Amino acid sequence: MKPFIGQATALALGVLAWVGGSGAGAAEKPYEGMTLNLASQNDQFAAVLAGIAPEFEALTGAKVNVDILSYPELLTKITADYVGHTKGYDLATVDIVWSGQFAEAGYTVDLTDWIKRDAAEIKVDDIYPSLMASLGGYKGKQVAFPFAGYANVLAYRKDLYESAGLKAPATMEDFVADALKLTDKGKRVYGFVANGQKGPAVAQDWMQYNRQFGGSILDKDGKPALNSPANIASVIAYKKLFDEAAPPGAADYDWGGREESFRQGLVANMQTWSIGAADYDNPKVSKIAGKAGIVLTPSAQGQPQEYGIGGWALGVNKDIDPKKQEAAWAFIKWVTSPAVHKELNLHGAGSYLRKSEMTDPELLAKYPFLPVIATSFEHGDGDFRPRIPQYPELQDLIGGAINAVLVGQADPKTAMDDIQVKAEALFK
Amino acid sequence: MFDRDRLLLIVRRLAICVVLVVALAPVVWLFSIAYKPTSDIFASPPTLLFSPTFDNFQSVFRYFHLGALLESSLIIAIGSTALSLLIGVPAGYALARAESPRAIWLAYFFLIIRTVPPIATLIPFYLLMRDIGLLGTWWAVIILNSALNSAFVVWMMFSFFRAAPASIEEAALTDGCTDFGAFIRVALPTVVPGLIASAIFCIMFSWNDFLYAMFLTKADTKTISVALLSAYGTKDISWGTLGALAHFSTLPIVAMMILLNRYFVQGLTQGVH
Amino acid sequence: MFGVELSVVSRDGAASGDDATAFSTGWSYARKRQMFLAALAAPALLYVLAVAVGPMVQGFLYSFDNYNLIRPASRHFVGLDNYLALWRDPTARRAVINTFAFTFGAVTLEFVLGLGVALLLWRDDWFNRVALGLLLIPATVTPLVVGLIFKALLNPEYGMLGYPLAELGLSGPRGLLAEPERALATLVAIDAWEWTPLMALILLAGLKTLPTDVLEAAAVDGATAPQRFWLVILPLSLPAAFLALILRMMDAFRVFDIIFVTTSGGPADATNTLMIYGVKQGLEFFNIGAASAVSTLIVVCILVMAAAFIAVLKPGRNRHV
Repeated sequence: MKPFIGQATALALGVLAWVGGSGAGAAEKPYEGMTLNLASQNDQFAAVLAGIAPEFEALTGAKVNVDILSYPELLTKITADYVGHTKGYDLATVDIVWSGQFAEAGYTVDLTDWIKRDAAEIKVDDIYPSLMASLGGYKGKQVAFPFAGYANVLAYRKDLYESAGLKAPATMEDFVADALKLTDKGKRVYGFVANGQKGPAVAQDWMQYNRQFGGSILDKDGKPALNSPANIASVIAYKKLFDEAAPPGAADYDWGGREESFRQGLVANMQTWSIGAADYDNPKVSKIAGKAGIVLTPSAQGQPQEYGIGGWALGVNKDIDPKKQEAAWAFIKWVTSPAVHKELNLHGAGSYLRKSEMTDPELLAKYPFLPVIATSFEHGDGDFRPRIPQYPELQDLIGGAINAVLVGQADPKTAMDDIQVKAEALFK
Repeated sequence: MFDRDRLLLIVRRLAICVVLVVALAPVVWLFSIAYKPTSDIFASPPTLLFSPTFDNFQSVFRYFHLGALLESSLIIAIGSTALSLLIGVPAGYALARAESPRAIWLAYFFLIIRTVPPIATLIPFYLLMRDIGLLGTWWAVIILNSALNSAFVVWMMFSFFRAAPASIEEAALTDGCTDFGAFIRVALPTVVPGLIASAIFCIMFSWNDFLYAMFLTKADTKTISVALLSAYGTKDISWGTLGALAHFSTLPIVAMMILLNRYFVQGLTQGVH
Repeated sequence: MFGVELSVVSRDGAASGDDATAFSTGWSYARKRQMFLAALAAPALLYVLAVAVGPMVQGFLYSFDNYNLIRPASRHFVGLDNYLALWRDPTARRAVINTFAFTFGAVTLEFVLGLGVALLLWRDDWFNRVALGLLLIPATVTPLVVGLIFKALLNPEYGMLGYPLAELGLSGPRGLLAEPERALATLVAIDAWEWTPLMALILLAGLKTLPTDVLEAAAVDGATAPQRFWLVILPLSLPAAFLALILRMMDAFRVFDIIFVTTSGGPADATNTLMIYGVKQGLEFFNIGAASAVSTLIVVCILVMAAAFIAVLKPGRNRHV
């Protein structure tokens, strides 16, 4: 009798586990009583995530606390969490450039096997390969699952371009020429704006322009090539644009300042991440509502037509126990599922991921510039900011050098030669 | 001579008014931008007139759990002040009454301790708190803040007790009062303004700190200073939200200062002499 | 200090070598008192040693290693390398210079302005009392917020101060905080805005305790106002000045919050200070070895400055120390 009952119980438990583990059933609450802490970057998706978290709780019983942090705070806190094994955050938004660092250090769970196992549920094919590869992918590992894809786009003032008889630039040569043409310092209108502030701000913006000018941070072998002729040329071009076509405070701008200058009507164009695009038509925060257009970023003549992509992925803390990891993975699958992700974007998250979203009629009606983003994802280059483990230090070096050039404290060649030496030391 | 004195008085008061304007204008501005609509905040050239809105406050309430933030800040400030006074005041008294040159050096030691920079102590302390299991709790911050605050309290109370004459205590001791009794019933009452001044310094230090709090707290034990940092560091600096949030982080301390200002001034006056 | 001393100390503090009462009540009383005082002071001492000094010593030991928390396996001893790097690296060198320049500038400015304000508020009437209360408000604002206030105010495009400054040509088109030559000076001014009131308060406290008879005597003797100031008021205010100066010096050397939110060390290292540099090493790169070296350097510098202070001003403090 005993073995029989044992088997029946085992079978019953097995069935229950299988039913509970399938996740999709709304009747069971497999993670009842569990709390998941999510550290989120303070981008547009953060508030939306916090808003829909209760729906996940209603579905699975797991409460999701979304802690919204600023960029430096986020990296410091989650790194401290992983390094100290303090299990403070079960989930975290992982920036595209942190992939290498996280992969090497093993902070987050490698999701490769789970993705294979649940491929049908996730509808992997619907996700842009460039996003899957860059947002969290590194050398065969997937340390985080793509969640918010951003495309580098060019936002421009249709009215200003029209009155100057110009069309949106298709090449970098046009872009530079137009910028100089559209600048009228007397009328306080400028043809160019980008981040100039020392640190990540100027580093990331310059790397974007560098790619479009034809430069590259790393050489073919993955070693730093900061003082290559192409890179130095693009630094010179960047500085020229700052001196002749940018608003005076630009050398101090970070993302917030740059976006604000565009929204205030100070500049005729701005290359930016697609996530800010929706705000330009919002009269509550923008003085240029209705006048902005979104197009693909230009590339230099002769360069392959590729577009910079970036964004955020969701990573699962490796230190937490398996049941919590399972719940965290369930959350990721849920929030990136076609229906929920679309809902996120309808609420203004601006974070695109799936091919189906880019052609969805509801989303298109609200955000007519989606085709631009879709093209950018299809030909996306997510590596123009090298996603290697040494990225933070590399970014710091670049940020310091470019800012020094912009404020006139160093000349392009010496600055780049200088940081090339320091960068090489990082790779020893 | 009457005219000259009056003239001097008027000039003095005028000068003080100018100083007050310089001191208070930025604070007034901070509070005003909380009511300014975002697009007006960035208007160039800057405008003085605007139609007020409460949008920024709505943002604050939506984004932040204000009640929890204030609770955390309050508990940490009061906790660390209480602990610092508890261990710091007796020590200050002891050093003041000890008839030894080494006591003075010890007092300076305590003063210098306050200058320990957070950088290197933070990580070892962080790991220690994790091992004890106090990481993420208010206690972690209270324990660390108290170390620095109590050192300061020791030094401040040392100065105050030195300034207070020991003769009354000695009389009490001769009359058969215990050492402890003399301390509590005779010495302490004479330095109450000093106690309040020390308490105010402690509260300000803990309330305004963000480096220790950021590192040692979790999402639900965060203080309002840390939240201010989050509001600032976003991709979009929202000055309006910041101004609104700053109301809640600044007004309590300003109110405290205004209410206890008399004691604070009196306290410092006593202790410096 | 709290051990039993061989020379007997009787109740009035004078050492008496052969006091007959020493053996009956003198010893046990003095001993008891010493023990009592030691017991009062011990908790604070132990607590501070454990919580503040302990980690600091640990950090000091870390400073001799190349130790990065992200790559803990690669930790190895490097001797004085971290300290030498502080000298060899131009960024670090600049940080050291900036920190001293900032400290010196801020403390001096705050002392001069604070003394001026204190002199203005010397008379004790309702107006001055109210003014003093209001004047302390800047000191209560979180330093982080102070930095943000001025960052916005000094912006050349939309700032109430920055826009006129730029228009009038008093600042460059990028604003004061973006100019390598003047950014640090601007930060000194911001720091002065925040802390001058506190300095004024301490100095005022000192002024109020000046013996009025000396002042009156000086006036009667025909000393002019400036003479009274330089020869009587200033020297007698030294104890209060000492307190104010040493407090501000220690805090100004460790300035962090306002610089962090306004310039983050830029433009081009012009406002990089030891704390900013150290925090970046420790909390951004998790380079504990380097951060600890910076931390130790800060403590040493402060100790040296404090010692210099005490040495220079001690003669005037004999009465009070």
